[in-house]
Amino acid sequence: MEPMDIVGKSKEDASLPKATMTKIIKEMLPPDVRVARDAQDLLIECCVEFINLISSESNEVCSREEKRTIAPEHVLKALEVLGFGEYIEEVYAAYEQHKLETMDTIRGGKWTNGAEMTEEEALAEQQRMFAEGACQNERWGYCPQTIRTRPDFRELTLGLLVCWNLKLETLGKHP
Amino acid sequence: MRKKLDTRFPAARIKKIMQADEDVGKIALAVPLLVSKALELFLQDLCDRTYEITLRRGAKTMSSLHLKQCVQTFNVFDFLREIVSKVPDLGGADVGSEDRSSC
Repeated sequence: MEPMDIVGKSKEDASLPKATMTKIIKEMLPPDVRVARDAQDLLIECCVEFINLISSESNEVCSREEKRTIAPEHVLKALEVLGFGEYIEEVYAAYEQHKLETMDTIRGGKWTNGAEMTEEEALAEQQRMFAEGACQNERWGYCPQTIRTRPDFRELTLGLLVCWNLKLETLGKHP
Repeated sequence: MRKKLDTRFPAARIKKIMQADEDVGKIALAVPLLVSKALELFLQDLCDRTYEITLRRGAKTMSSLHLKQCVQTFNVFDFLREIVSKVPDLGGADVGSEDRSSC
């Protein structure tokens, strides 16, 4: 496997939007400086290459730590490894800022999803279903695992045996 | 000379570029943001150093040749050598002139 051969098929069409990039480059340079068209295109290519470089290295750091998702820490480590250590401070500051800005959003919505029942409610529901269906349904288990974990499992089993017996009787197959 | 940018890099596009690499799997939400900031710093550095060369040559317009020379001057930009290799040097044949537009 060739290391970092990004020139080929993996580069697809994904590039940075030209208009935005032109604006940004202009903002970065002194106001009266002109940039040749081919130089602009080249700068954009360099940016894409930089992203590829960081991605690749971050991915390596991530794999080495045996993680599956590339995390911010991996990116920071990658920057250091690649010789861009002086960026770390500002990049980390931007990350902290982002965390602050999104914290309220997360706290507000995500954890108040009220669709869950309590365990007691779930068991009661199970019991109801079981009582209704056990005698008619030839298969025992709505959910064998749940049945096993139920506290009144023994009682229930006996009850089921009675039901089953009754059924057999009805069918005329009493042993 | 680091001014605050008015325009930002598109995070979604950055993520797309990252995931164009087959080896890259899942990416945490904040990661494109970090890459975006790093890219901003990188581009600023690249522009600054290239512009120094432009000035030194007494030119008013930044050309791809200046960029090429910048890349060749600083080790940290080594990964860009292949990209700039297609830029012809003055008075010489250009090296490795593949048609890269069909990538």
